[in-house]
Amino acid sequence: METVPRRPRAIKHFYQRVRRRMVDALLFFALLTAVSVAAGFMGSLTGLGGATFLVPIYVLFLGMPIQYAAGASLISTIATSSGAGSAYVRDRLTNVRIGMSLEIATTSGSIVGSLAAAWVYAHRLQHVIYILFGVVLLGSIYTQVTRSRHELPDPKPPDRWTKWLQLCGRYYDHVLGREVEYCGVRWWLGELIMFAAGVVSGLLGIGSGALKVVAMDWAMNLPIKVSTATSNFMIGVTAAAGSSIYWSLGYIQPFFAATTAIGVLAGSFMGSKVLLRLRSATIRHIFTVILAALGIQMLLRGLGLY
Amino acid sequence: MELEEVIGYALRIGVLTSTLLILAGLVLIVVKPPAPHILVQLSTPHSPINTSSIPPAQVFTGVAALNGIDVILLGLMVLITTPVLRVAISIIQFIKERNLIYTLITVVVLFNLLLTIFIIPTLIK
Repeated sequence: METVPRRPRAIKHFYQRVRRRMVDALLFFALLTAVSVAAGFMGSLTGLGGATFLVPIYVLFLGMPIQYAAGASLISTIATSSGAGSAYVRDRLTNVRIGMSLEIATTSGSIVGSLAAAWVYAHRLQHVIYILFGVVLLGSIYTQVTRSRHELPDPKPPDRWTKWLQLCGRYYDHVLGREVEYCGVRWWLGELIMFAAGVVSGLLGIGSGALKVVAMDWAMNLPIKVSTATSNFMIGVTAAAGSSIYWSLGYIQPFFAATTAIGVLAGSFMGSKVLLRLRSATIRHIFTVILAALGIQMLLRGLGLY
Repeated sequence: MELEEVIGYALRIGVLTSTLLILAGLVLIVVKPPAPHILVQLSTPHSPINTSSIPPAQVFTGVAALNGIDVILLGLMVLITTPVLRVAISIIQFIKERNLIYTLITVVVLFNLLLTIFIIPTLIK
C-alpha cells in the first residue's frame, strides 16, 4: 500500500508520481475510446454490432485478457441495444411477441454459454475460444456477402406455431410507402437457432446479432427490417443475462467496460447517421476485409500459429 | 401514455442515466484520483481490479464517498438493469392485453434474468 508520506520532499515526489500515473491512465483511456468508437462505427454499418470487432482488436492488439475484452464488449452491446431500441419502438418495427418468445431460448443459451466460458477459462482452454471466435467472424462474412437485396420475403403459409404464438404483425415501410403485413413461421427452428445464438453470446461476449437475424430472416421468414429491430431488442436482454454472470465471475473491469460502453455507443450513433446517407457499398467491403483479417488472426492465435 | 412510449422512455432514461454515471465516475477518477498503485492497476491490460473483487454492497458505500470506480460500477449496474426493466414492463403490457400465453412466456424470460442476477452468483461462489 502506498500512503501519503509525511516529509515535504517526499510529498512532492508522491504527487509527481500520481501525475505521471494519471497521464498513463488517460493515454490508455484515449486508446480504448478510439478503438471502441471505431468498432461501434463498423459494427453499426455492417449490422454486426461493435463487440464483433472489439473483442479481437482488444485481444490481438492491446493484449487484453479475453475475459476482460468479452466482459467489456458484452456490456457495450446492452448500451447499443437500448440506445437504438427507442427509435425502433417508435417506428413499431420491433415485434415484442416474437422477440419475447425467442428470448426464452437466448437467455437460457446465454446462461449455458457464460457458465461454459467460466469452465473454459478455469481450465486454461482459451485457445478454444479464439478458434470459435475466428469461426464466428469468418461466418459473419457470409452474412455480409449474401445480404438479401429485396425488402420482403416471399410469403409462406402460416403453420400451427404462427397461430398459437400469434406471430403475425404489421409495420409501415417507409421505402415501399405502404403498410406491410407479415407472419412468422417455423418458430421451433427459430427457437433452436436462438439457443445457439445465446450460447455464442455468453461464450464470446458478443451480441451475436448476425445469428439472430438468420434465425428470423431465414428460418421464420420475417421481413429484414422486423428481424433487425427485433434482434436489436433481443441482444440487450440476452446480454443482460450474460453480463450478470460475467459480473460475478469477475470478467468486468470497471474502467475498460465503462470506456468501451461509451465509445461503442458514440461510434454506433455516428454509424447510424452515416448509414442513412451511405449509397456505395465500398465502405462495407472494406469492413468485410477487416472482418476477414481479424477472423484469420483469431484462428491462427487459437491454433498457436500467431 | 401508451406502453410503447413507456418502453421508449425507460430505455432512453436507462441509457442516459448510466452514461452520465459512467462519465461522472471517469471525471471523479481524474479530479479525486485513487492511490497511484490503484491507478496503475486500473489502466493495465492485465488489471487485477474487477467485479469479483468488489462486492455490490461496497459499490453503494463507495458511491456515497464519491469514489470514481464505484460510481462507474453503479452506471454499469443501471445499464444491465435497463433490459430487465423492459421485460418487466412487457409483462404489464401482456397482462393488460389479457394475453395469457405471452404473460407466461415473459415471466419465464424475467425468471431467467433474475436467476442470473441473484441465484447463479451465489452458486458460483
